[in-house]
Amino acid sequence: MATLVTIVLMAGVTYLTRIGGYVMLRNRVLSARATATMEAAPGCVLISVIAPAFVSRNPADLLALAITFIAATRLSMLPTVLIGVAAAGLLRHFMG
Amino acid sequence: MSISQAVEAAGYGSRSEFRRGVASCAPVLLGTIPYALVLGAQAAQKGLSTLELSMMTGLNFAGGSEFAATALAPFLRDLPRRKAFPALFFLCDESWALGLADAKQRAAADITPVFSPRYYMGAALVMYLTWASFTTLGALLGPMLGHVETYGFDMAFPAVFLVLMRGMWKSVAAARPWLVSLVVAALVHLFIPGAWYVAAGAVSGPLAGWLMAGDA
Repeated sequence: MATLVTIVLMAGVTYLTRIGGYVMLRNRVLSARATATMEAAPGCVLISVIAPAFVSRNPADLLALAITFIAATRLSMLPTVLIGVAAAGLLRHFMG
Repeated sequence: MSISQAVEAAGYGSRSEFRRGVASCAPVLLGTIPYALVLGAQAAQKGLSTLELSMMTGLNFAGGSEFAATALAPFLRDLPRRKAFPALFFLCDESWALGLADAKQRAAADITPVFSPRYYMGAALVMYLTWASFTTLGALLGPMLGHVETYGFDMAFPAVFLVLMRGMWKSVAAARPWLVSLVVAALVHLFIPGAWYVAAGAVSGPLAGWLMAGDA
């Protein structure tokens, strides 16, 4: 029961923080500097989430990430994902 | 196919926008499904009941998207509140990323409205249902699954995120905050246990961007 209450409370807090930013920003007119900062923000979040992959201790993972990175600069979503998954699976298998 | 071609091919009907959103999830699911199975299995091992786990994943469907919501706000501005609030409930890293990337592409191609609610809901619903059902399935099948990491499925997330970032690419100068985020998040990940690296990277990059914009 205590676990269930905790989970529901967590959900409430998570949701509040999520709508918080939206409510604060929705009617603001932003300066050019603020707009530039806001535009950089999504990429910053994305790269932060996957940052651990860049400092993996496993050489196979790093090599697979490099291959995925090159694929991502040239190919669309599906081929990039397939190449990334295949590279990681194969390199881990053969490099240990 | 470019975004304007895709929108045109799909027609302007709301149902096809929804379908476009659903379809765009396909590559992402390749990473989500194994990951959800593993998470479900792990949670079951830690003693969470199946009901508790379903509630957990069904309600706390986030993982870092609190920061992300702020970035989406400018695009949601044209949307009435009664539509924006439910949309934010279903927000997660992946649906946020898809919705935002789509909004940016539409903005670049001068398509209005910039934010397509039905595209987003299509993507978000598929992600949500997949996530909730496969974590539950993972909890049930738990002991039968091995380590999914060995097969390389976890590389799907960096792959998806890198392609989305390429879609957001403008110039080297505009991407400098990304590099700051990467370095800070990586360092924090190496030296501080837990998931603080996401917050550290997400805050430091835009902050650096703000400071650098002042020099120019």
